[in-house]
Amino acid sequence: MDLFLHLCVMIFIYIIFAMSLNLEVGYTGLFNFGHVAFFGIGAYTSALLTLQRVPFELSLLIALAMAGLWGFFISIPSLKLRGDYFGIVTLGFGEIIRMVFQNEVWLTKGPMGLPGIPKPVLFTYQFGTLPQYLLLTFGFAAITFLILRIILRSPFGRVLKAIREDEVAAETLGKNVFFFRIKSFVIGSLFAGLAGTLWGHYTTFISPGDFTLLETILVLLIVVLGGKGTQWGPVLGAFVLIFFQESLRFLRLPAEWTRYLAPLQQMIFGGLLIVLMIFRPEGLLKEKGRVSNAGN
Amino acid sequence: MLEIKGLSKSFGGIRAVSDCTLELRDYTIAGLIGPNGSGKTTLFNLITGSLPLDRGEIYFEGKRIDGRLPHEVAWEGIIRTFQLTRIFPKMTVLENMLLAPPHQTGENFWSLWFKRRRIRNEEKEHLEKALELIDRVGLSHLKNQFAENLSYGQQKLLELVRVVMAEPKIILLDEPTAGINPSMIRRMMELILKIKMSGKVFFIIEHNMDVIIELCDWVFVLDNGEKIAEGKPKEIQNNPRVIEAYLGV
Amino acid sequence: MDFLFQSILNGILAGCIYALFAMGLTLIYGVLNFVNFAHGELIMWGAYFLYFLMGKPFRLPLPIALIPALLLTIILGIGMDRFVFKPLRTANRLTLLIAALGLSFLLRNGAQLLWGAELRTYGFEIKRGLRILGISITLNQVAIILTSIFCIVFVYLLFHRSRLGKSMRAVSDNLELARVVGIDSKHTIQFAWVIASVLAGVGGILLALDTNLQPGMGLINLVKAFAATLLGGVGNIWGALLGGIIIGLAENLGVLVISPGYKDAIAFGIMVLLLLIRPSVLLGRLE
Repeated sequence: MDLFLHLCVMIFIYIIFAMSLNLEVGYTGLFNFGHVAFFGIGAYTSALLTLQRVPFELSLLIALAMAGLWGFFISIPSLKLRGDYFGIVTLGFGEIIRMVFQNEVWLTKGPMGLPGIPKPVLFTYQFGTLPQYLLLTFGFAAITFLILRIILRSPFGRVLKAIREDEVAAETLGKNVFFFRIKSFVIGSLFAGLAGTLWGHYTTFISPGDFTLLETILVLLIVVLGGKGTQWGPVLGAFVLIFFQESLRFLRLPAEWTRYLAPLQQMIFGGLLIVLMIFRPEGLLKEKGRVSNAGN
Repeated sequence: MLEIKGLSKSFGGIRAVSDCTLELRDYTIAGLIGPNGSGKTTLFNLITGSLPLDRGEIYFEGKRIDGRLPHEVAWEGIIRTFQLTRIFPKMTVLENMLLAPPHQTGENFWSLWFKRRRIRNEEKEHLEKALELIDRVGLSHLKNQFAENLSYGQQKLLELVRVVMAEPKIILLDEPTAGINPSMIRRMMELILKIKMSGKVFFIIEHNMDVIIELCDWVFVLDNGEKIAEGKPKEIQNNPRVIEAYLGV
Repeated sequence: MDFLFQSILNGILAGCIYALFAMGLTLIYGVLNFVNFAHGELIMWGAYFLYFLMGKPFRLPLPIALIPALLLTIILGIGMDRFVFKPLRTANRLTLLIAALGLSFLLRNGAQLLWGAELRTYGFEIKRGLRILGISITLNQVAIILTSIFCIVFVYLLFHRSRLGKSMRAVSDNLELARVVGIDSKHTIQFAWVIASVLAGVGGILLALDTNLQPGMGLINLVKAFAATLLGGVGNIWGALLGGIIIGLAENLGVLVISPGYKDAIAFGIMVLLLLIRPSVLLGRLE
């Protein structure tokens, strides 16, 4: 039963994480390969603040703000670049942030990580037990889904899609492509920070090694497997992949095998991405057109 | 309305547009012709701000617009189409249309939360207008199809009515009849004339002389980036300099 | 003062290696018009192939193992193209890049599976080097400089003076047209991969000689290669050299002032700075 609850918590956290990437990659066509950076910024910010006894309500908001702010800072220079160049810069940024987590020992305790992250308390209700945490993550996942749904089904969301499809045409129709991209990136970063915060408070121990390329690959896989550019795609992808990943963790394997398990699993992820791109790049759920974007 | 003075643009050592000066007046359909590579599309790109110019000035309704970004030029009311249609492939015909109107309240992120009724109303208005336009060009049955599934001729029609949705003052058409069959060409021309009647000005790049003669009140001729002639279509046809430009490749 | 000169030398050394990385990256970009996100892994595997051949059971000495190692790298490079990139030749850019990223992840973990995540070296002792003008330079480092320069000149001549080079430039300019004119694009592309793989392999080996090997070395060197390319101008061979050297120098001089933990971040920082001040690739502009 505990395994099931754990799976659900992880799935909901990754649903948020994947939806945030889907906004950027799937809807706006931004090749963000460093999304884990904002996941990490959210996690570290909230962890550090709550460890200093800042109330969770406040630390959550600040964590979101930090993630969004850094999204803003990195996107300004990077969005001047064409797609694949932007990809490399964001990839690099993901690595750099990890270096910061590792090197700024005075702040983050470096490789030793931050243990004992307190459980969140929202307006005096503590989400200490597993079922309670499930409630928390489900609540945030639902809120995120609804907020993004409103955004994506609106004229704003329509412009994002147009930019993805043909930025020159969008620009000549009077859409300020640069600004829209920045907004999309900031919103995506903000929600990634939310996912990271929830994750950090769940595992209660974070270290720089938790925020590597693996996370980016995983969330990217979730988005493209589920079907990028759809609202339910990230949800479906999260269910499938997190189920797979977390189940592996609970397999009882002989000790010598564990050192091979991680790289092997990650090779599967890499291979899966390749196979998916070659044979079914749309993913499981295909994109459909909308009739009108008047909102819900 | 649109005034271009001494416009020049070079790529590397090649002069794409050379000291070009011309003026478009209201209530005109103007044509832009010239042999391949004479700088016609480059001129359009300079006007819309997609390409930065080297020298010269561009005025629209008395306001200077050179150096502005493409979306700002579009806000002034200058909307263009492209030689190879740029419709949004994985968006439906309707979505393509609904995207076009400028300054939509719903495109502002904050308005999404605080101005929902206004957005809904705007969407309804735009939807009505879009449906009417689509119907006029016979694309109603395709309104929920992804634009990439349309035939080339249908895409060209879509691109044109999408421009109308963008509430332009002047429409720059880059080879609107290239690559489509004669009956479609006829439809396109009728559409252009109908749009003109609602007060829009056209500036059309064309290779098809029949289209130019039938539609245009005034024609500019470019050769090697220079304006070599302008006048009524019949005059241009008989202009020896123009004939030489086309033949003497 | 000596310390400064030593850093400068180290910087030039590193720079030559980065130049090799950048050239390989820019070559594939030039011919196939995409940034190969798996280029770092080509570098990494090149280094590991040599390690593999020098270890049990082959135990080949370096000069003998070099050629087979490079051959294996070439096979990897051509394999990458054949199995991942060729099927995606006409796919949209995002699809291609995601596949490349997946490939890089696959290769990186493949190396970790085979050799573990620990740092490894080729096992040469640090010999005392020659002292010239107060700075010391080992035989290894001399080899690095000479090899790099040789490669750079070779690639330059290849690209600009030979027929093959001309075909590569034609293919990069316009694939369809090149085919129509009779340029064998398939072989041209393959040849580009051969050269890119050799450059990556040599670069990786030189880097591993100077430092060490670990499966994650691909990613950060991809970023550096890209930064060098951006600095020197995409598609510009001498630019790649210049860009590489600037980054090498910046890194080695930079650690004199900032924490060594951020050495690898310097290249990234340069790149961001460049983007902030250089207005070239603007949105909406067709140029």
